[in-house]
This record gives sequence, C-alpha cells and structure tokens, in this order.
Amino acid sequence: MDFLAYPAYGLYLLLILAGGLGAVLAQSLVRALMGLILTLFGVAGMYLLMSAPFLAFMQILIYVGAVSVLIFFAIMLTRPSDGGEAGQEGSRGLGRIVLGVIAGLAPVAILAWAVVKKSPTDLPLKPEASLASLGQYLTGPYALAFELISVALLAAMAGAVLLGFERRRPR
Amino acid sequence: MTMTEIISHPLTKLVLGLVLILVFVGVNGLILVWMERKVVGFIQRRPGPYEVGPHGILQSLVDGVKLIAKQLVTPRGADRFLFWLAPMLSVTPVVICFLPIPFSPGLTAMDVNLGLLLILAFSGINVLALCAAGWGSNNKYALIGAARAVSQSVAYEIPLLLSVLCIAFQTGSLSLSAVAEGQSRGLLSWNLWVQPLAFVIFFISATAETNRAPFDLPEAESELTAGFHTEYSGMGFGLFFLAEYTYMIVVCSVATALFLGAHDGPFLPGPWWFVLKVYALILALMWFRWTFPRVRFDQLLNLCWKWLIPLGLANLLATALVLKLGE
Repeated sequence: MDFLAYPAYGLYLLLILAGGLGAVLAQSLVRALMGLILTLFGVAGMYLLMSAPFLAFMQILIYVGAVSVLIFFAIMLTRPSDGGEAGQEGSRGLGRIVLGVIAGLAPVAILAWAVVKKSPTDLPLKPEASLASLGQYLTGPYALAFELISVALLAAMAGAVLLGFERRRPR
Repeated sequence: MTMTEIISHPLTKLVLGLVLILVFVGVNGLILVWMERKVVGFIQRRPGPYEVGPHGILQSLVDGVKLIAKQLVTPRGADRFLFWLAPMLSVTPVVICFLPIPFSPGLTAMDVNLGLLLILAFSGINVLALCAAGWGSNNKYALIGAARAVSQSVAYEIPLLLSVLCIAFQTGSLSLSAVAEGQSRGLLSWNLWVQPLAFVIFFISATAETNRAPFDLPEAESELTAGFHTEYSGMGFGLFFLAEYTYMIVVCSVATALFLGAHDGPFLPGPWWFVLKVYALILALMWFRWTFPRVRFDQLLNLCWKWLIPLGLANLLATALVLKLGE
C-alpha cells in the first residue's frame, strides 16, 4: 500500500498545520487545546508513516488520552467562569507580530537549511522495529538517558507537591 | 488490477470491515438497550417494555426514530463548536477500536501487531469528548460531571493497563490475535485460570472506564440531573448513549479475547462462541448495574488507589518473576 503514503503524508501535514494555527489563533483556551490535540494526532500519524506504530499509539494514549485531559482539568479548575481569554488587549502591536513571525520562521529556516545541505537521495520505508529490540535499547545503550528522564519527572513531581504545600500555608 | 486482486487487497478488506463494524455497532446499540430494559425489568419483578413488537423487541428501534426526529437545541452561552464536536468525538474512535478484535482467526478487520495498544489508545479519547461536552454546555452540572469523568478515568486507566500488561508479558505479544491463538486449546488453556486476579481487576476497571453503575458518577442522575449530557437533546444525547453501549461491547470483547479464550469452544463455529461470551459478560455488567448501589466519590477513588493499583502492581511483579524463573 505504498501509493497511500503520499496522500497520508499530506493529510497529516494538514492536520499538524491546522491544529497549530488553531492553537495559536483561538480566543478561548479550550479551543486552543483542541488545536493542540489535532496537532498531536497529526504527529502520531507521522510516526505511523515512519513505521513506528508503537510510538504513534503511545502518543495517542499518553498525550491525547492523558496529558491533554489533565490540561483540560487545569483550565477548568483555574478559570471556571469565562472561556479563558488569552493575553491582554495591549499585547497585539505590530512589532510583536513581526517578532513572532521571525521566531516562528527561524526553526523552519534552520531545518530547511539542514535538509538542503544534506538532502537524502531516497527515503525508503524502514521495516518496523520490534518491541523487544526497543526495550533492549531502552535498558541497554540508552539506559542512562532513560533513567535521567525519570529523575527529571521525579523532580517535577516533587516541585509540584512543594508548590502545593507552599500555597496552602496561611500568609 | 483484476477483480480478484481488488477483492483480496487489504484496503478492500479494511473498508468492508469498517462498514460491517458500523452495522454491528448500530444493531448492537438497539439490542443492548432493549436487553438492558428487559434485564432491569426482570430484576425488579416487572415485565419491562412489552407493547411494541413481541415482548417489546421493537421498542428501542422506535425510541431511536424518536431521537432522530427530535429538534437539536444548543443552549444559550454554549460553545457551539465544542458542544457539537463532543458527541461525534465520543462515537468515532469506537469504530477504530473494533478493527483488531479477533472474532475468529480469519474474521479480523485488520490484524494489527499492536492491536491491544490501539484499543487502549483510541478508547482513551472518550474522556476528552466528555470534557468537551461538559465545558461546551455552559452548565454547572455538566461541568461537574466532566470533572468527575476525568478523575475517574485517569485513575482507573492505571489498574486497567496493569492487568492488560500481565497478559502481554505472558504471551510476549500485544496482538489480540496472538493472545487468542494461545488460548485455543480447550477450556484449560484460557488465561482466566492463570491470571484470575488480573481478570477481576480488568473487569472492575473496565466497568469504571465505561462509566457504568455502580461507577456512573459522571452522570449520576440523582445529584447531577444527567451529568455531562444534561443539555443534549435528540441525537446529541443519542450518540453519547450509543458510544456508552458500544464501549461496553469493546471492553467485553477485549476481556473475552484476553481472558476467556476468545473464539475457543466446542460444537459451534468460533465467531458464535466469541459473541456468546461477549454477551455473557455484558449481562454481568447489567447485573452489576441493577444490584449494587452507586458508590460515593471517595469510595470510588479509594477502591482504585488503595486496592486495585497495589494489587495490580503485585500481580504484575509476580507474573514477571514467574516468567523469569520459568525461562
């Protein structure tokens, strides 16, 4: 089914771009979150194209199913009455727009430069990596990086607990 | 391409599978609503629906027509986009969840290598739909219902995953077909006998994940009117309803494939056994609903965090240990 790869690529690209634009341009925070979720779906599709279905499903399971829901929860708890208006009115000057466009285009330019400089001649679809070899890599050569990520998560969790206790103390 | 090539193409199979799944989902919705009303009737010593058709069998069809004919109302101050996105977001992923379910060795819409993961990933989207519904309705009951749905589903997803992981460890595969294949040598080869604790944990968590009573706090009608779907009329409500019943079939199918030997059984062909087992489990779910009173929210979370998660972790460790020693 190789002939489906190009339309699929276009579709996922469209999903990612539409989601990103939606997230940036939406007035209410919840709608922006919907844009983010659309983008996450698009990225999951890209993983599928790179024959990494495990990553794609994990992306949907963790980011769409859990992280976005937690963000939703945070929005609900912090702004229960209005739709969560983004930013103040004064922050929409021309200079800021120019700066924003530059900031958005810089990574694109760097990536484009890299692709033009070292463009691969052919992009064959790689065979799917087995789950067992993925696990062996995570516990073997990449064990240190894997563990460091857990340490970072632990630090974040401890920090969240600490902040929660700080706020509860009467001032 | 010749005709046979087109017919045997995987894409054709996928499209055919999707169409059949849609039919299956629709018909099952009708049957299950009728079944639930009959079961509750018999449990409460009354006949249940009786007037439309023999033994009221056409009642849910008539109800469906009524729901479709009703006017769709968007409440004032609601977020129109999110409000109508939610019911669609609730139903669509269910169809994908049916793709890897092994009704019999040849009868799988798409034999995905990571089928189990696919079902877990796409069934998680439902809670997002509930959130969007609760937020978009601009209604306090709906919002409280959505908040409850989130904390419940996030909590119960952990024991669910832990119990599924035990089977994955044991089989060494995340493909539902492979798991079903491993249990096709008679009653004693079913995973239920090896992993009884995992089955109990899975079934309790699945009841909570599908928002079924006694865990139906997101739509507790005595406190929240109707929870997250308070404001929905006509097919908006109908789609949520259909999604709930379809998720019941999905979790019962997964339970059947993981623990109850999938299509294994004497005399009848495989698919019949599969459907029979799924319906037996659904009957058990309905039985739960009309037997146990609704739990309090603290009881719900205590059951998960203090019992199911530690037990699930212990079970997973024991499984890993036994597998390692048996190597």
